[in-house]
Amino acid sequence: MVRIIKEGKFGFREAFALLTIMEITKIFYTSPHVIIKELGTAAWYATLISCLTSLLFFGLVYLLLKRFPGNDLYQVFEAATGPKLGKILILIFGVYFLYYAGVNMGEFTIILKVYSKRLTPTEILTVAFLFVLIAQAYVGLEGIARTAYVFFFFIMGGLLLIILLAIPAYELDYLKPWLGYGLDKTILIGILRSSAYDEIIVLAIIINSIHGLKNFKKVGITCLIFTGLTFSICLACILAAFQYTVASEHLSGMFQLSRIIYYSRFFQRVEAIFLFIWVFASLITVSLAFYMALSSYCRAFKINNHRPLLLPFAFLAFTVASWPDNVAEVLEIHVKLIRQYSFLILYFLPLLVLAWSLITGKKGGKASGENQNAKLENAGQGN
Amino acid sequence: MAKTKMQNLKMPVKEIKVLAYVLLLVFLALFLAGCYDAKEIDQEVYALVIGVDKGVNNAIRITFQVPTYKDGGQGGMGGGGGDGDNGTETGELDGTVVATVEAPSLIEAINILNATSNRMISLSHAKMLVFSEEYAREGVGRYIEPLARFREVRELMRVVVCRGKAEDFIKENKPVISQNIAKDIELSYLQSQNTGYFRDVFFTEFYIDLLSPYGQPTAIYAGVNEFDQMLDSEPGLSAPPKTYLDIKPGLIPRKGGNKKDLFGTAVFDGDRMVGSLNPEETRFFLMSIGEFERSYFTLEDQNKPGYIYVLEVTAVSKPRIKARIADGVPVIDLSLELDADLASIQSRINYEKSDLIEGFEAYLESYFQKGIKNTIEKTQKEFGTDIFQFGKKIAGNFRTIQEFEEYNWLKHYPEAEINVNVKVNVRRSGYFYETHHIFSTKLE
Repeated sequence: MVRIIKEGKFGFREAFALLTIMEITKIFYTSPHVIIKELGTAAWYATLISCLTSLLFFGLVYLLLKRFPGNDLYQVFEAATGPKLGKILILIFGVYFLYYAGVNMGEFTIILKVYSKRLTPTEILTVAFLFVLIAQAYVGLEGIARTAYVFFFFIMGGLLLIILLAIPAYELDYLKPWLGYGLDKTILIGILRSSAYDEIIVLAIIINSIHGLKNFKKVGITCLIFTGLTFSICLACILAAFQYTVASEHLSGMFQLSRIIYYSRFFQRVEAIFLFIWVFASLITVSLAFYMALSSYCRAFKINNHRPLLLPFAFLAFTVASWPDNVAEVLEIHVKLIRQYSFLILYFLPLLVLAWSLITGKKGGKASGENQNAKLENAGQGN
Repeated sequence: MAKTKMQNLKMPVKEIKVLAYVLLLVFLALFLAGCYDAKEIDQEVYALVIGVDKGVNNAIRITFQVPTYKDGGQGGMGGGGGDGDNGTETGELDGTVVATVEAPSLIEAINILNATSNRMISLSHAKMLVFSEEYAREGVGRYIEPLARFREVRELMRVVVCRGKAEDFIKENKPVISQNIAKDIELSYLQSQNTGYFRDVFFTEFYIDLLSPYGQPTAIYAGVNEFDQMLDSEPGLSAPPKTYLDIKPGLIPRKGGNKKDLFGTAVFDGDRMVGSLNPEETRFFLMSIGEFERSYFTLEDQNKPGYIYVLEVTAVSKPRIKARIADGVPVIDLSLELDADLASIQSRINYEKSDLIEGFEAYLESYFQKGIKNTIEKTQKEFGTDIFQFGKKIAGNFRTIQEFEEYNWLKHYPEAEINVNVKVNVRRSGYFYETHHIFSTKLE
């Protein structure tokens, strides 16, 4: 079992930036709308429940990877379940990532059309987006990670700026009644929406690019906590500014927040900041998902060069993005599937593999991280 | 040799790559033009004010005020339109055009005007939404929703209810001091901070309050002043000082300047206007909701009737509000702190001195306390609407949204017991401290 595509290596900071952007991008979309609609004033801490659930799942994935030192998640699948079932599991992940990329792209174009480019045909927006995806995926994982690191500061800085500038609009009393639509509902939806954080599983797939298990744990935990707190603050700000009634109407709560910033007639209309950070965050997120889909396919079929597959996969992503006929389909079916039920794939499959490996007693060899990495690197040199 | 020359003429691969990248960048730059959504600035006209009246031939009559691109337009160079009969027919008015159309909906009205003019009307720079009072009393919800949903509308425009027709009000929306009407409109809202006579209500706030279970919406109350309230003076006739401004917008005794009066607060129950607060009540209302900044208060001297003193009052901090439900009755404790500077004392009594200041502060405290309490009582008994948003504090007494919505705070507001506590600090006394009396032959 060797890795086929040479994915390069990068450190804690790049990995943290990459995964944080991928996690955080959904706050710019319809996520706040959906969670506030379901949980009302409890949305801001329900997301912390989701985050804690995700940390638990992440811990279990960590245990699985620890049983197979030096192997990434796909290699673990093959080692634990055999090459055939392992391939199927990898393909399930690949299809999911393609679906994720397509749906996110569809959601992006819908919101872009509503808020900014209302006359531009959807196809033009999607194709322009695809150009960037292809370019990013062509460069590969390391390129995407390094781009993410550069834009991380702009994206987080922009987000922070919007939150701070909107302070005069906040009224913390609008977070009352504290229990929203009920604590039981909050906990249930909170656990289900751990899917909103399950992109963290990408770390398990790219573990060998981030220098092994130790970094995996460090990046994963830091990223989940950081993202959970950011989500919680953003949701609290949206609720405090718009109350649970109006906040549950807005397609993009963060965009609306940026639109109500007003200090004087000279300092207003700063929503351009939002568009800037939102576009970059979306591009990086979808690029990573698109690349993961490509990479999964190559790994499943032992293809050593992903580049010839760029155009066919771009076509597939375009097709997925074109599936929904209207905004209702995007929100009520596809986005809901990804942000509420995707944990059934991304968390449960690795957990089933963990359970299987415990039952069958399968374990990886105690290869030292250094040696294994060197071995993998050498295998990649041939590409 | 020839081969070497040929080799020298050949571009190195690295340079070809660089050139390819440059060409690619130039090509990609074409996409930056945003062809589909690109608009030249003068391809559209930007409505500054939108007025809504009841229609005669159709459901509503919408009035738009848009700046022209002629000299004297919004940019503000020269005198501009309104040039005689021709200007009246075309609706030209001091560098703007006021156009009115009847339609079944606001967005349809824009469409109709688009068809009849040679430019698209954009609402993305709208600064004011005006409802006629007659219309506001019937309910504005139907016309607020499309505006909130419509992508072009600015959340930061203000909501105004005017006495009389919105169309007439907009026709009087002329820049008097400068020639830039957009600046004129924006600066007029700033007067809320300086005078406290009206609340600066953004469209987004109005919409949020409309859907709120915590409280009810308000709007700026306005009117057109025909300058007919100033009575001619008669010899020997003198009026006593009237320190309480119970005047409706449009009825301020004044002459000259802009005919628009922003003076008071329109009070809503849901989407229907149910009454108004006068400018004095509006100041007490602003103090209670933490939006009061500063204003001058003229009070009759309690120690020398017929004489007045003037205070410049500023808010020290946001009011503190505590709410509880005791034996089924909602109880609200409102406390706030004000600073007062003496701006004028006709009687020359030295209230700023340490032996008088405590009593003076206590008197002022009871004055503001009474003013705020009366204003709250008016909203409870006369209108039955919580424009103070006390509901956001009451909400803390309920565990879930279902419980809170079932209780229906807005219905219980009139029966709430509201205690007001005001602390006033008299800080400064202007240029003077301890003034001297006036000498005359009739000195007592």
